[in-house]
Amino acid sequence: MFQYFLRRLLLAIPTFFGCTIIVFFVVNLAPGGPYEQQVQALKSGSGFGVGAESSAASNNGSATIPPTALAELKRYYGFDKPVYIRYMIWLGIWPRETDSYNVTLGTPRNVGEGKFVVVNQQNGKYSVIDESSKQSVSDIWYVENAVLDTLGTKQLRVFRTELSGILTGNFGNSYEYREPVIDLITARIPISLQFGVIGLVLSYVICIYLGIKKALHHGSTFDIVSSSIVLISYSIPGWALGLLLLVLLGGGSFFDVFPLGGLQSSDYSSYTLIEKILDRSYHFVLPVISSTISSFAGITLMMKNSLLDNLSQDYIRTAFAKGMREERIIWLHAMKNSIIPIASNIGHIIGIAFIGSFFIETTFNIEGIGKLSYYAILSRDYTVVFAFTVIGVIVNLLGNMLSDIILALVDPRIRFR
Amino acid sequence: MSEKASTIQVVKPQTIGQRRWKKFKTIKRGYYSLLFLSVLYALSFLLPVLVNNKALIVKYNDEYYFPAFKSLLASVPLVDNVVSTFQSGESIGQKGNSGDCHYRELMVQYQNEQGGNFIIMPIYPFNPIEDITTEGNLAFAEPLTSPDNIHTRILGTDENGRDVFARMSYGFQVSITFALLLVFVEYLIGIPIGGLLGYKGGWVDLILQRFIEMWSTLPVLFLIIIVVSFVQPNFLLLVLLLSLTAWIPITIYIRAEFLREKSKDYVVAAISIGVPTWKIMFKHILPNSLVPIVTNFPFAIVAGLTALVSLDFLGFGLPPPTPSWGQMLSTGLQNITKWWLVFSPMFALFTTLIMIVFIGEAIREAFDPKTFSRLR
Repeated sequence: MFQYFLRRLLLAIPTFFGCTIIVFFVVNLAPGGPYEQQVQALKSGSGFGVGAESSAASNNGSATIPPTALAELKRYYGFDKPVYIRYMIWLGIWPRETDSYNVTLGTPRNVGEGKFVVVNQQNGKYSVIDESSKQSVSDIWYVENAVLDTLGTKQLRVFRTELSGILTGNFGNSYEYREPVIDLITARIPISLQFGVIGLVLSYVICIYLGIKKALHHGSTFDIVSSSIVLISYSIPGWALGLLLLVLLGGGSFFDVFPLGGLQSSDYSSYTLIEKILDRSYHFVLPVISSTISSFAGITLMMKNSLLDNLSQDYIRTAFAKGMREERIIWLHAMKNSIIPIASNIGHIIGIAFIGSFFIETTFNIEGIGKLSYYAILSRDYTVVFAFTVIGVIVNLLGNMLSDIILALVDPRIRFR
Repeated sequence: MSEKASTIQVVKPQTIGQRRWKKFKTIKRGYYSLLFLSVLYALSFLLPVLVNNKALIVKYNDEYYFPAFKSLLASVPLVDNVVSTFQSGESIGQKGNSGDCHYRELMVQYQNEQGGNFIIMPIYPFNPIEDITTEGNLAFAEPLTSPDNIHTRILGTDENGRDVFARMSYGFQVSITFALLLVFVEYLIGIPIGGLLGYKGGWVDLILQRFIEMWSTLPVLFLIIIVVSFVQPNFLLLVLLLSLTAWIPITIYIRAEFLREKSKDYVVAAISIGVPTWKIMFKHILPNSLVPIVTNFPFAIVAGLTALVSLDFLGFGLPPPTPSWGQMLSTGLQNITKWWLVFSPMFALFTTLIMIVFIGEAIREAFDPKTFSRLR
């Protein structure tokens, strides 16, 4: 058992690297990244964001960006290095440049924290000396005399490096929000998790109840009707149902029952705790329905089939033959075994609940991680996209393992090898 | 004696395929869904002569023109670059219009002229991509409320004045074709790999299984959105992108089937007389492993349809102005007060998906019947 999980954990490592390598390379080789966007923005003269009126300006303005500035911009985004180096930097197994300062030979340069360094050159070798203590700091500050353009313009600079990447927990800063990615994500996790967990609990409670009822009344009108409803719910994508509910109940054309989206009313902060909970639940109704509808059919039918399977087993026959009460047989004997496949499924669903759904969050305009990841892809916010890839892979792997653990816990017959 | 022999011949044993088909036919909602969808899909290839703004027949100065049939011909892949559907307005009597002819307008003109010229329009004379630049098209026309047109638009128009019903019906063909093609590619990749895994076993199985595990963790939707944001997507590219991971479920099913089948006597017999491996895999085992392939098929179609609609909804699907349900739904979300923009594609999507699920349920019941005996 322990060995099995250890092996699963070890196998997760190549999976993790394989996945991140594919995503990293695809994203990095795709044109139109943050560097290109920034260059475009500079060309159009608007600084950030390309305005509609700036297309004329971009034609005559394109020549005005000096190549040196372009080179520095490229370095700022890390695009001056080949993609495999960038991958290793991102992982944190290759030194990442942190502060970089342009210097001139022999002149003290303020490098922050009130410190000054001087770069000297001897026999073609550079040395960096701390201004105040006159000690060599060449092992902290590296010097590079980089060629910036085709004319051979050189710029001397000093920089520090550190080993920091996702392996050390550094996800970098978002290009778009100019904030650490970790902060962006942790701020949104509670929101996505809230309706993910509510949906999870609700769908399990309803589906298990429905599944049992359908199994016990197999072939009845109730079974047939509810089967049709469950099949219909299976065929409808959650976000499409959400859209339908919005049109019907969101106050657009028909009934004005539920809000059109968002998470809370505008005067949410002035509410008391109970009012806040009520307000939140009121906003959650439609998104929760839409996000749970797709997992509904699977769980209900799984519950029904596994209970039916068990009811036709020999041990149930024996129990009946012994003259036990039917309720006792169903609830104590059959249920214990029927719940196994349902329980082991929880791991996968928790993963889904955690990652959130960007379809639901886009439809209902909820500021959760799903929507964040969606807009990160749109705006080519690479660091955020990579962070989501990492989180997605980890959650997926952990979810699978959690399923196995639950399976091992609820089913003593299971022996992992 | 001879009588006896003939009676024996009458009671021909049914093959398993016949039994399954018979069982399938008894499940009414699945059977009728299959009939309905097949007929509808077959009809959808005739859409250019059923739903089109080009005339079926034009008679002008004793000459006949068949513009709608030309566009039917042009809807066939590969031929579409050869056939030109262009017919200038002036050439058939529409004065001052050297561009493509406006047939609905011309029809009124002919009727007013009372000459021998006439036009027969298709049953529903609107095209899915004609917009407000075309005569008589209004943005956001409500369903059944446009008396100024010769024909009313039964489901109204969208924000560009494109006809909702026309887009919906063409969208059906696009969606189903897409899903069928996707499932075909899925099976083309998934079945050989699954067969290899199951038949070879051992190291091949172990290594490829790890690869599949890794591959299935790929965030495909992310990748598709990223790729589509810099490459103009087309039909085939989207099929290929979506089939990147869509082949995995069928591979797993087929692997399990091959694992079970390979230990059976007929396979051992085939090996012993020296049948080549590929022949054993595809001629001997595969026909016996068809159950998961067939039962999975409708659900794979549902998944393909949903994927296409979802991508179109986000704006990363087929390039505009391709008629697609997802794009129509996202237009609906942007104009939430225009109810017909949401309801029409939603209705089409839901009915199609539900019918396919019904078919799938019936097939599963016919191929893999589960009988539960319960002691009372």
